[in-house]
Amino acid sequence: MQKKAGPLFYVFLFVFVFLIMFPFLWILLSSIKPLTELFGDEAFNWFTSHPTLKSYVSVFVNYPFLKYLWNSTVIATITTVYTVFVAAFAAYAIARLDFKGKSIILGIVLSVSMFPQIATISPIYMFVKKFGLTNSYLGLIIPYTTFALPLSIWLLVTFFRKIPFDLEEAAKMDGATPLQTYFKVILPLAVPGIFTTSILVFIAAWNEFLFALTINTAENYKTVPVGIAMFQGQYTIPWGEISAATVIVTIPLVIMVLLFQRRIVSGLTSGSVKE
Amino acid sequence: MKNEKKSERRLAYILVAPSLLLILAVAIWPVIQSFYFSLFDYRLNNPAKSALHLDYSLNLERYLENYPFLMSALKQEIAQATDAEKEQLESLQEKLQQVDEEIRADKEAAKRYEQVDEILNNFEVPSEELKIVSIDEEAAQHLTKTISETKQTLKTLNENGQLKQGDKLTGLANGLSGAVIEPNFVGLAHYKNYLSDSRLWKALWNTTVFTVISVSIELVLGLAIALLINKAFFGRGLVRATILIPWAIPTAVSALMWKFLYDGQNGIVAKYFADIGIINDMSELLTTGTGAMFAVIFADVWKTTPYMALLLLAGLQTIPSSLYEAASIDGATKWQQFVKITLPLLKSSILVALLFRTLDAFRVFDLIFVLTGGGPANSTETISILAYKVMFSQTNFGGGSALAVIVFICVAIISTIYIKILGADLISDRK
Repeated sequence: MQKKAGPLFYVFLFVFVFLIMFPFLWILLSSIKPLTELFGDEAFNWFTSHPTLKSYVSVFVNYPFLKYLWNSTVIATITTVYTVFVAAFAAYAIARLDFKGKSIILGIVLSVSMFPQIATISPIYMFVKKFGLTNSYLGLIIPYTTFALPLSIWLLVTFFRKIPFDLEEAAKMDGATPLQTYFKVILPLAVPGIFTTSILVFIAAWNEFLFALTINTAENYKTVPVGIAMFQGQYTIPWGEISAATVIVTIPLVIMVLLFQRRIVSGLTSGSVKE
Repeated sequence: MKNEKKSERRLAYILVAPSLLLILAVAIWPVIQSFYFSLFDYRLNNPAKSALHLDYSLNLERYLENYPFLMSALKQEIAQATDAEKEQLESLQEKLQQVDEEIRADKEAAKRYEQVDEILNNFEVPSEELKIVSIDEEAAQHLTKTISETKQTLKTLNENGQLKQGDKLTGLANGLSGAVIEPNFVGLAHYKNYLSDSRLWKALWNTTVFTVISVSIELVLGLAIALLINKAFFGRGLVRATILIPWAIPTAVSALMWKFLYDGQNGIVAKYFADIGIINDMSELLTTGTGAMFAVIFADVWKTTPYMALLLLAGLQTIPSSLYEAASIDGATKWQQFVKITLPLLKSSILVALLFRTLDAFRVFDLIFVLTGGGPANSTETISILAYKVMFSQTNFGGGSALAVIVFICVAIISTIYIKILGADLISDRK
C-alpha cells in the first residue's frame, strides 16, 4: 500500500538504521582510539580525544593483511568469472530451450545449493591434499564451485526467463541458429542479469570461511575472513587491529552496496518472488 | 521441423553438460564419498588407518625393510648358537619362511613383492599404490601370529642373554610387526556410537534451538520492517543500502565484531545489556551457556533480519494496491486486511525465505566458530562445529564424516518438508 510517510515514520527509520549501523559505528570509533583507551573505564567513551591511525598502520605492518586482500580478490574473481561463464550456457538452455529433464536438472541445482558444506569437506580436503593443492588459489577455487555454480545457474535462469520470447522467434524467422540467437540476441540483453549474478557470486566467494579455514592454512594463502579471524592470539586479542581491519574490509563493501544496491536486491529476490 | 527440435535438444544437452559434470564432481560425488568415509575408522594421524582398507593388506615396504635382514641375522645367530637355542631359532626361521611363501603364493602379491624389493635395493621409495598389497585374511592372520611369536621368543632369549645380536633381532622383529594392515572398515559403528553419545544430541539440540529461535525472530521482525517500509519515502536507497551491509559483510568478520561488543570487560553492548538489566553481569554473555546462546542468536538476528525484510518487501510489492482499496471500501480493518490479503498472498515469499533461512541457520558454522568456538562447555556447539572438531582437531575423518552425513540427512529432511509445502512452485517455469 503506497501511503505517505509521516514524521514518526522517519524517527522509526532513523532508529532502525542506527541500530543496524551501530556495531560498525562503534568499530569505526574504536579503530581510531589509542590502545590504552580500548580497555578499562575509557573503553565506553564514544569519542576519543586522541585519535590515532596506529591500528591501521599496524594491520599492514605487523600482519600480511595486504596479502590476504590480494588472495581473496584473486580467488573470488576467478571463481566468479569461471562459474558464471559455465553457468550462463546451462542457464540459457534451461530457460530458453526445449528439452526433457529440465525440471530434474533445476531440481538438482537447487538441492546442491542446499548442501551443507560440512558434508563435502572431508573428501574435498583429501582431494586437494592428494594433489598438493592445499595452500594454493586453485585449492579454494575448486571447492568454491560447489556453491558458486548452483547459485549462478539459479540466478541466471530467472534472468534469462525475463527476456521476451518474441525476440527469439524473430531471430529464428530470420534463420539464426540457437547459438547465434544466444550470442547476438540473448546475451546482450542478459548483461545486467549476468552482472548481478557476478556480484552475488563474488560476495559469496569473498565471504566463504570453512573451506578457506581448512585448506589454505599458510599465512601467505589465507583469505580475508580467515586472516582477520586468526588475528586473535592464544591469550590476547588485538582489538585495535581487528577494528581497523574490519573497517578496511567494510568500506569497499559499503561503496559497492551503495552503487549496486538495486541490482543486488533484484538478484536476492529474483529466486523467491513470483512475478 | 522435427529435425530442428532434435538439434535444439542436442544443443541444450551440450550446453548443460559442463555445469552438470562439475556439480557432479565437486558436490554430489564428495557427499557420496563422505558417506563411504563414514564407514571406516579413518584417521589421518595414524599410518595404519590413514587410508581406507576393506581387506587385510600388507605394507611391502615395511615388510621388505625388515624380513630379509631378520632372516639373515637369524642365520648368523644359528651358526653361533648352542644346541638348545639353535632348535628354537631354527623353528622360528622355518615358520617365517613358511609365511613368506604363503604371501608369495598369490600372483599379484608376488609380482609386487619383486617390484618393491627391487625399488628398495636401489634405495628408492615405492609409491603408496604399489607398496600396499591386499592379502587374504588367513595369510594375514597367520603372518601376524608368526610375527608375534617371533617377537616373544626373541625377547625372552634376549632377556636371558642367550643371543649375540639380541637387540638387532628384536628390533627387526618389531619392525616387521607393523607391516600387516588390518581392515579399518567399521560399517555403521560410527553412527551407532554417535547416536548413543549425548554430545551429538546436545549439538543437535543446540542447532535446533538456534535455528528455531533465530529464524522465528527474524521472520516476525523482518515482516514488521517490510510492512513499515513498504511505502514511498525519502531516502529509500539509503535505507536499502544500510540493510544490505550486514548481509554483505563476511560472517566471520561480523562474528569477531560482536565478540568485541560482547566482551565481558570492555564490550559496549555487554555494558548496555547489563545497564538495562537483560543480564546481571557484563561477563554473563560469553561465559554462561544461556548467555552465549543468546549472544549468538542476537548476532545472527542482527545480520539476517534485514535480508529477510528485503525478501518479504519484494513479495509485498507484488501485491496490487487495488486489493487493499477494495477491502477498505468494504470496511475491512487493517488487521483484517493483513490476515485476509497480505498473509495469503505473501505465503510463497514467506515460505521461500523461511526455507533458505532455516537451512542457513541449521548449517551455521562461521558465526559460532568465531564468536564462541562452541563454548562455554559446548553450550553453543552446533552439529557442524562438532563435525569440524572431530575431523580437524581429533583428525578422526571417519567419525567426522559420519557426523557430516547426519547434518546432510537433517538438511535433506528439512528441505523435503518445505518443498512438500511449497509444491513444485519453486522450480516450475515462471514467465
